[in-house]
Amino acid sequence: MSDVRGRRKKNKEKTFFDYTMLFIVLFLLCFGLVMLYSVSSYEASLDFGDSAYYLKKQAQATLFGLVLMFVVMMVDYHIWRKLAIPAYLVSAALILLVLTPLGYEVNGARRWLNVGISLQPAEVAKAGMILFFAAYVCKIGRNVQTLKGVIKTLLLGVPISVLVLTITENLSTAIIIFGIIFMMVFVATPNYKEYFILGFSLFAVAAVFVLLVKKGVLTSEQSYRFGRIEAWLNPEAYASTTGFQTLQALYAIGSGEVFGKGLGQSMQKLGFIPEAQNDMVFSIICEELGLFGAGAVLLMFLILIWRCLVVANNAEDMYGALIVVGVMAHISLQVILNVAVVTNTIPNTGITLPFISYGGSAVVFLLIEIGLVFSVARRIKLRNSGE
Amino acid sequence: MGRKKRDTKPQRFTGRMQKKLTVLFLIILAAFGVLTVRLYAINRDNGEEYKKQVLSQQEYDSKVLPAKRGEIVDCNGTKIAVSQKVYNVVVDAKTLNSNDGQYLEPVLNALYDTDIEFSYTREDLRSYIISNPTSQYRIIAKKQKYDLISPLMEKLNDKAGNPNLKGVWLENTYQRTYPYGSLACDVIGFVQGDNEGAYGLEEFYNETLNGTPGREYGYLNDDENLERTIKQPDNGKTLVTSIDVNIQSIVEKHILAFNKEHENEFREGNGSKNTGVIIMNPHTGEVMAMASYPVYDLNDPRNTDGMNIVVDEDYATQGIINVDVGEEETGEAEDGEEEASGEEESTEEKEDTEENGDETDAPAGKTTTAPAGVGDHGADGDGEDAEEEKEKDRPKTYEEAYEDAKMEALNALWKNFCITTTYEPGSTYKPFTMAAGLEEGILTGNESYNCTGVKEVGDHQIHCNNRFGHGMLTFSGALEQSCNVAFMDIGAKIGKKIFMKYNKLYNFGLKTNIDLTGEAMTNTLVFDVDKMVPTDLAISSFGQGFNVTMIQMAAGFCSLINGGYYYQPHVVTRVINDEGATVKTIEPRVLKQTVSEETSAKIKELCNNVVSEGTGKSARPAGYRIGGKTGTAEKYPREKKNYVVSFIGFAPADDPQIVIYTVIDEPNVPSQASARYATLLTRDILTEVLPYMHVFMTEELSEEERAELSEAALTFARSSDKTVSENEIDEESTGEEGTGNEGAQGADDSVITFEEQEITEQEPEEGKREFATDPETGYLIDPTDGALLDPDTGRPVDPSVSDLE
Repeated sequence: MSDVRGRRKKNKEKTFFDYTMLFIVLFLLCFGLVMLYSVSSYEASLDFGDSAYYLKKQAQATLFGLVLMFVVMMVDYHIWRKLAIPAYLVSAALILLVLTPLGYEVNGARRWLNVGISLQPAEVAKAGMILFFAAYVCKIGRNVQTLKGVIKTLLLGVPISVLVLTITENLSTAIIIFGIIFMMVFVATPNYKEYFILGFSLFAVAAVFVLLVKKGVLTSEQSYRFGRIEAWLNPEAYASTTGFQTLQALYAIGSGEVFGKGLGQSMQKLGFIPEAQNDMVFSIICEELGLFGAGAVLLMFLILIWRCLVVANNAEDMYGALIVVGVMAHISLQVILNVAVVTNTIPNTGITLPFISYGGSAVVFLLIEIGLVFSVARRIKLRNSGE
Repeated sequence: MGRKKRDTKPQRFTGRMQKKLTVLFLIILAAFGVLTVRLYAINRDNGEEYKKQVLSQQEYDSKVLPAKRGEIVDCNGTKIAVSQKVYNVVVDAKTLNSNDGQYLEPVLNALYDTDIEFSYTREDLRSYIISNPTSQYRIIAKKQKYDLISPLMEKLNDKAGNPNLKGVWLENTYQRTYPYGSLACDVIGFVQGDNEGAYGLEEFYNETLNGTPGREYGYLNDDENLERTIKQPDNGKTLVTSIDVNIQSIVEKHILAFNKEHENEFREGNGSKNTGVIIMNPHTGEVMAMASYPVYDLNDPRNTDGMNIVVDEDYATQGIINVDVGEEETGEAEDGEEEASGEEESTEEKEDTEENGDETDAPAGKTTTAPAGVGDHGADGDGEDAEEEKEKDRPKTYEEAYEDAKMEALNALWKNFCITTTYEPGSTYKPFTMAAGLEEGILTGNESYNCTGVKEVGDHQIHCNNRFGHGMLTFSGALEQSCNVAFMDIGAKIGKKIFMKYNKLYNFGLKTNIDLTGEAMTNTLVFDVDKMVPTDLAISSFGQGFNVTMIQMAAGFCSLINGGYYYQPHVVTRVINDEGATVKTIEPRVLKQTVSEETSAKIKELCNNVVSEGTGKSARPAGYRIGGKTGTAEKYPREKKNYVVSFIGFAPADDPQIVIYTVIDEPNVPSQASARYATLLTRDILTEVLPYMHVFMTEELSEEERAELSEAALTFARSSDKTVSENEIDEESTGEEGTGNEGAQGADDSVITFEEQEITEQEPEEGKREFATDPETGYLIDPTDGALLDPDTGRPVDPSVSDLE
């Protein structure tokens, strides 16, 4: 019966397709590849003798991701609801696998799995958590609106965040995963006050730490993270050590002026900003394309986030809407934190810029998430049609 | 549907949630806003400072490792241009001031213990270091050779022995040197500034020669220590050229000898305004030698010693600058693209073309009509010049005027005459005209011509070089005697369409695209077939009225005698990389077929006759048979009596291995109109070049030649009596009467004569025009214009008679 109704509906309704979002995503991907090539070609030719080394790997991952995006888009997103608990367990298991010989280190951080292809479990976990918590919040229904429900939901996010933090020593991803859950819960519940109180108290705790570091009570000898805070407060004083990367990024931004030095003309990418194609790619965008180019990129992200908002608000059901909210939270958190790090607004922590920074797992799973958003968007009923 | 039932009602994304999502979006928007402001603030507050930081660390943290510029070698591997490693001495004041300045004295001791000349005295350097404690990069000695620097280098490398030598280091770079000095300067060009090629091969192949600089740069490793990595430079590639240093030297030696011989002979200055010689391999288009005069030292291209730089006395008011490169003028007035430094000439030329514009729309340097009153505007020309020049209104200081004059002189010196200067080719074009007619079947080779000394074309009487006329001439005889009348007949028979079709086929008006910088565009300097009038065709059939470059003539002539294959002329034959492996071979490139094998064979035979029987006799080196054609082109403005004399030829006659083209622009002699200057120069060059190339002698040597050759083996000096023919002596004695006859000229304004003063020893024959004898002087009178003629040569006594009026 549902099939018959579905077919009839299809005949009456136009299926919705968000071309704006598709354009933005494709634009960001292409722009990302161009910038990646510009930023990485020098180091790639030094390290691998092939200036397009990073570009090729990223282009492969992007194509693979686009295929997966299309597949996910065509599938009814409701089937993922059944897979909520497996998604959680697989995410956790993959992170644990890093401890086995399958895991390997890059630049001193053991965050990768070699399972035929290279895979970063943290990226899987982000998508996994979006699927799990969208389903979970729907499952507990009205209970999520009670304080107990909220705390219970947030606590469910803690184990995976702790795994990411301890096993892969990746504070930033832990923050993002927790942030995604936090935002999803925020949207699903009616209260404001509690969240602002929570937000302020987290801010206060952070401020206390910063103050203690500033007073010299906590130093880099206790944890390298305090060292990062020291460098954040005064990058010039640590110019040759912990502040080096941040300061070089600031030089890049500051020397770009309004329209930049021109695509490919960055001087800072010539060995000054280490691994510029990863976390620091935005600083090179500022240097090469100037404030204008950087502003345009931020605007693109903003439009993408806004399209997510539109899709979520018009989604067929709450499950679909929450998936989109999760994706929206993911993208906005990464963009905001990445740009904040690059501009030294917050202490340095490794966060990549979606669609642009180098990283195969990240772009594949981001495109899968975009596929989910398209899938939700496809089921939006256009107002002036049928039923 | 069943699934949904189990979940009770499908949950809706409620309006309240939508509102919260909007709040979340606004928070995100705010965050974006904050970050944008932050980006702006960084640029506003620290932009300048950070920009300087980026530049300064670029200098210090990351060093450019220069790439070695590729060499230029000749066809035998002889190095013509090389790059030598040299060293800069750099001090780092910051390090020298550290540790209470304990390094300063040991470093100063080490530095001033050597023979290196520093840009600071010891005390100045000390005070510089102390007063600039943050400076980390200061070059104190530039481009020092290895033998000077090696004692210091040893000390610096011995770190254990000299622990206090810190804050000073050596930076290596390359210095371009040319072991042969001025040899082939036009072809090679030089390097200025930071490895930037100027002129010649250095500029044309700048990218290939330059390579890619490497870089030493610092980065943070995992332990957050600054590490250094070196990316090795990619050295430039070496050019193998078809130039043969030995042939080039022979050519330059004889050009120099000619110019020294005629220095200051008729006017102050060099033996000619310019002398160019090209030797090419007709079967490949490869240039074996290319030279002009004057030359300059490639190792010191800006040296103006011995150059006569004249600043006009009126520089302050008029800004007019006269430039001398040890000769009268540097610019080529014939060349439409040149800014001619001889103002008179260029202005008059302009006026001529303007006035003629109505009739022919003639390209520069060509005009076929004779407007009234040339004499008039010749007289008031100066006044007009002054008016035009006053447009430069800002008064110049003497220094400025001198600098301008110097740069102009240098630019004239640096340019490659053989490819940059355009001129009317004159009779050397005649074989091209003939080949066109033969190829089209319009000419058979059995024609005969009757030259009466003048031919009427359109409204104009165009004279032959010999005003008595050559009489009856065979086809071959027309070329041998270089008879203008016969060629005007040939031109008329061929017709302008076919004539211009072949003109273009021979690549005139187009660039040859030789791999040298500065080739002139001649597209506006040839006739437009639609606008060509009969007189244009008549004079262009013997090579006047349109402009060519030397390389165009040489490349075109190669195709005439090699079976009709037009090769693109080129200099570089191979490009090899730093390791000596060939990365590119430049094969001879046939661009087109100009004429057939048969026509080519015929032209070869005709050119052989020119040297064995006709005007080119004096070009033949003892012991060899060669072919060729002379040319004596009258320059613009015609009344100036300036000539470009030339010889284009090939050797040996039966199996051409080289094509040689010799052009002398305004020989510094009383009467320039003798191709003998060019033929004799050619002969001298070939006398040495052919034996060098192992071309066997085929001809018997006369006693005289034998003696000459053995004398030449000792000194190459040419005795001057051979160069001045009797004709010129006549000319000399009569030349002074020059201006007395202006009334006569003004009366007849439709006479054009193109002088073709070659050796014309033959007597006037039967069937010629009648010439009355002038009772007063004994000269003959030309019935067409009443000009007085020398009974021996048939040339006008008064040179101005032949002027274009």
